[in-house]
Amino acid sequence: MSGRTKSPSLTPLLLRLFTQRHWRHAFGQNLLLVLILALGVGVFTAVRLANRAAVSSFTHFTETLTGRSDWIIQAPAGTLPENILPELREALLDLAVQIHPVVESTATETTREDKAPATGFSRRTYTLLGVDLVGVSNLAGQQAASESFFGRTKPAQGTATSSTGDFWTLFQDNPRLWVSPALNSGASAPATLDLVINDRALSLPVAGFIPQVPDGPAAPANLVVLDLPQLQRLVGREGRLDRIEFVLEAGLALANRRIILGERLAALGRNAEGERWLATTPGARRETAATMTQAFRLNLTVLSLIALLVGLYLVFQALDGAVVRRRAEIAILRSLGVDAGVIRRAWLIEAALLGLAGGAMGLLLGWLGAQFAVRAVGQTVNALYYATSVSAAQLGWSEAGVGLAAGVVASIAAGWAPARAAALTPPAQVLVRGAPGTIGGPWLRSWPLALAALGTAALLTQVPPLELAGGNRFPLAGHAAALCGIIGGGVLAALSIPVLGRVLAPFSNRGATWRVALGHVRRPTGRHRLAAAALVCAIGMAAGMAILVASFERSVRTWINTALQADLYLSSQGAQSASSNNRISSATWRAIATHAAVERAALFNAYPIQIDGLPTTLGGTDLAAQNNRGGFMWLQPPLDQSVFTPSQNTTAALVSESFSDRFEVRRGQSIVVPTPTGPRKLNVAGVFADYGNERGTLLVERSHAVEWFGGDEHVTSLSLDLRAGTTPETVRADMLAAHPGLSIYTNVALRGEVLRIFHQTFSITYALEGIGVVVAVAGLALTLVSVLLDRRDELTTLRALGFRRAEIARATAIEGGVLALCATASGLALSFALGWVLIHVINKQSFGWTLAFAVPAFQLAALGALVVGTGFTVSYFVGLWGADLPSDREE
Amino acid sequence: MKTLPPLFVLLFFVTLPCFSQAKDSSPTKLEGYAVPQKNPRFTFPRDHGAHPDFRIEWWYITGHLFTLETPPRRFGFQATFFRQAAPLTLTPPAASAYFAHDQIYLAHMALLDVATGRFIHQERLNRAGWNASAATDTLDVMNGDWQLRLTDPVRETLALRGGIRAEARFDFAFSPEKSLVRFGEGGYSRKGSAATAASYYLTFSRLGVNGTLQLDAVSLPVQGFAWMDHEISSSQLDTNQVGWDWLSIHFRDGRELMLYRLRLRDGSSDPASTLTWVDNAGRTMHTPFRLEVLDTWKSPHTGAVYPHRLKLHTTDPASGRTTVLQIEPLAKDQELGGALGGVTYYEGACRVVDEQSNELGSAYLELTGYDQPVDALR
Repeated sequence: MSGRTKSPSLTPLLLRLFTQRHWRHAFGQNLLLVLILALGVGVFTAVRLANRAAVSSFTHFTETLTGRSDWIIQAPAGTLPENILPELREALLDLAVQIHPVVESTATETTREDKAPATGFSRRTYTLLGVDLVGVSNLAGQQAASESFFGRTKPAQGTATSSTGDFWTLFQDNPRLWVSPALNSGASAPATLDLVINDRALSLPVAGFIPQVPDGPAAPANLVVLDLPQLQRLVGREGRLDRIEFVLEAGLALANRRIILGERLAALGRNAEGERWLATTPGARRETAATMTQAFRLNLTVLSLIALLVGLYLVFQALDGAVVRRRAEIAILRSLGVDAGVIRRAWLIEAALLGLAGGAMGLLLGWLGAQFAVRAVGQTVNALYYATSVSAAQLGWSEAGVGLAAGVVASIAAGWAPARAAALTPPAQVLVRGAPGTIGGPWLRSWPLALAALGTAALLTQVPPLELAGGNRFPLAGHAAALCGIIGGGVLAALSIPVLGRVLAPFSNRGATWRVALGHVRRPTGRHRLAAAALVCAIGMAAGMAILVASFERSVRTWINTALQADLYLSSQGAQSASSNNRISSATWRAIATHAAVERAALFNAYPIQIDGLPTTLGGTDLAAQNNRGGFMWLQPPLDQSVFTPSQNTTAALVSESFSDRFEVRRGQSIVVPTPTGPRKLNVAGVFADYGNERGTLLVERSHAVEWFGGDEHVTSLSLDLRAGTTPETVRADMLAAHPGLSIYTNVALRGEVLRIFHQTFSITYALEGIGVVVAVAGLALTLVSVLLDRRDELTTLRALGFRRAEIARATAIEGGVLALCATASGLALSFALGWVLIHVINKQSFGWTLAFAVPAFQLAALGALVVGTGFTVSYFVGLWGADLPSDREE
Repeated sequence: MKTLPPLFVLLFFVTLPCFSQAKDSSPTKLEGYAVPQKNPRFTFPRDHGAHPDFRIEWWYITGHLFTLETPPRRFGFQATFFRQAAPLTLTPPAASAYFAHDQIYLAHMALLDVATGRFIHQERLNRAGWNASAATDTLDVMNGDWQLRLTDPVRETLALRGGIRAEARFDFAFSPEKSLVRFGEGGYSRKGSAATAASYYLTFSRLGVNGTLQLDAVSLPVQGFAWMDHEISSSQLDTNQVGWDWLSIHFRDGRELMLYRLRLRDGSSDPASTLTWVDNAGRTMHTPFRLEVLDTWKSPHTGAVYPHRLKLHTTDPASGRTTVLQIEPLAKDQELGGALGGVTYYEGACRVVDEQSNELGSAYLELTGYDQPVDALR
């Protein structure tokens, strides 16, 4: 091959004369391809950014003030008493450590009855951070800040410091708030903030902005700082602390002192009764938060890859089409002695450029999308896991790199086979332009492959999930099963195209248009098969997800019907997230419980606890009352009634399904639960379904729980049965007038609210699925464009035979419509299998919820009709465009 | 006023509040706070403790340390605890024993390594409660992990635990080498022409120091001598005063000297400025004085310009002759920024030499109001 031209300098020449020229001629088509890739990369990037923003904003809110604490202690259950502070101070005298007690709570914006009901997206939840504002001024970061909580820290030369009067005023009775500069986008701080804290609606004065610590994280918009004792009083937690943070003074042997401090805290935290507190680091807390949401985020990432996967199909298809159409030139180049490697390199570079362009545009789309997605992801994290401060998603270098790499790698991977085909094109091909392309290879015509993929999928559903840190699990095999299913379904759809063509053969009698169209369907090219496979992928996942959501919804509705039997449900307006600890004071709930219209009030207390380092909830309620009204949906019912008898149930508990899965306790087994008055060994008497809490709930008799948790008389929520003859709406209005800080739902409204939150949780999923379908339909259009370009000679012939433009368009529409029909039918069939995998494997392994299988027939039919209809319409317009193609047009 | 025997004091005042005083025409209240009165009668150890009915109070130790090796390494140190009461006009929120709001505590620690000129210091501010307090029945004041305690009420020995971040730790024991000095008229010290501009001013003018100085990773046994003021007031400065220069000298012959010059806005000295000698028996004597600035130093941190080297012209009561003492800081930069307390000042270890450069003793020089007028103590 010494005569072959191998010079690398030939590649740029080829790219300019060969690639660039074709791109210019087929600008629209290539732009669409870039856009599809961009969409794929964009969705992938948006979800990654949103995920990261939602998790990074978990927030260790104190860092805004402290920089980074070295250690944190918190009670394994409930709160810490503040009287341990002197003991800690005395025990740590030799370690040069600052001790900062913290109270943390949440509050929401006040909503009024005359305003439109606030949605989860629009209603702001604030994190209230109570720190000793005098004490934090000792932190190095605070002293380096140009502003302090009490005014200017470093007076400019010649100016007076803030008067001491201002300083003392801040300790007056009236609590004052410090808000984030991000709250008002840098404008001046509002004079007051209207908040609901526990069951009270308050308008609190704002003292100023939270000072920005140099090199420290900026205060998130939803952070509000108060002086610690004032927050204690506001939330009814006098004498109690949520955690204590320790910041070592700068100096020698910091790492060593950190270790010693950790050991000292761990030792001090243990006594004869068990763990008084758990010592942890901010990094570990963040890690816990990250692992709590890991399954959720991984699932979203996998979903986001669908659009990229479909885009990958299309790049493959487009590049392969280009190989076919440029075969003549390739052959000439080969005849002129250009080496096969040079041609392959030029094609791969073309694919990479395509990926780069798509990736770059995708980053932009991804960043834009993330700004919306982050709220949705944050909202879900907030509702299911913990309080987050949803901040703007930032596009960092690493995320940009991953996004670009995703575009380029996908594009090169898709372009590999076409590049190989181009390099192997023999010069003789120049004589047979129009010969069928090699696209898709034999694999899209392989029944064994289809069956093997489906068989593998079936086997993978039986593989247990991947164990992640913190007791979480990720259904890796479940996702792999879904992927195998998609591949198998795609190949089956490709195989079924000619079958459908034969089934539709009788329609050939309806005229030449049908005959031409069905002729192509009976002899599908690889391109047809690929388009169908891409559509199957998108439709299968979208419909499968619809089945999951419908099944979920049916289970939730059944659960609601069982669990929600009371007439009115009351909680604090501030209780808007999974980690909210806003409660109702005893004065308020007693007033409500003795309201003339109330026949019976059921109280519920929720206490956040940690078991084996995993956060979960201990609930206290009247178990017998709940059971008598049929409030439990049993998965494992209690074997006897002792759990419902307060005198006999001091060591009994009922657990939710998620709890049972997460902590691996079944009926008849026991678990040790921490409480402020010492650990309790509880026997699990039954397991019930609960779709309200993914972290699990352990229910005990409320009177015992109150005793274990120090006799605190606050309640988290209460439900009311009203006397006969009263109207829930009237009673609700009456109670709201007396207690404006409460959130009161009638039975009907609460059911609606539960379903609204449910749909909100799935909103990002819907969006991802929608994008997948749009990409696939766009791909169908691109396929037909490509097919028609391949058939320029045939189109010329048809025109010569007297075919009119509309007839050619009709023939193309039938061809595209049948393809869409074939893919839709296969996709919908596949969706049943995917739905099963999503419900019984992926969902069950990720979240531990048992769901009843439900098929949203109307939705699936609508999706099918939409795809077929759109496929038909898009194909018609492509046909109109193709009808005018000259036989010698280059692409 | 001579020191009363402790037992007598205890018996006599056992049912009275601290600082009982003879009646005179001075106002007894300023904005609700108690005001120092003439002819105070002290009872100890109670009056070594805190007096929360007065607005301002401090326990102020400055001293010189020497390691036990030969030649010894020399250090200057400062350990001060301040207390300030909240304005009584405010509506106080419900009491919280752990996070109170009626008193605030500020503390400063500083160390000068004379050989290297390294000067490190730290401020600390805490509200009354679990992390800062001052007992009212004895000297027991703490701020974070810094503590100053009276360890033996009869011998009046003290213990200090303090430090500067994790760079230095102080673990010192103090024992008085002279009895307590009451400056002014038996401890009633005028600070200006206003009737309320006064303080109770009690001092251990010479405390022997023994203990351990942990500097970085090195633990150094040290000995030395220190000065401790305990001053209580509700309004230290007149409106016309911008700051003060304060100086304490430990002479090698066993005597001490303390002066304060209250500076007026026009640059002159307030007539209340005073210089007091403490002889070997602890007796005090006032002599007129004049300070002459030989040199200035501009702080790179705040831009404040401080007198750097001073010449003190006064009369030595031992000889009755005029004496000129030269005050020379052991390092230039001994300024404490007022990030927390709002007052930037200079507190510098010095040596004292005569005109022939013979070293006569060690001193601490305090200069306030050079950055901006001191408002906090009005």
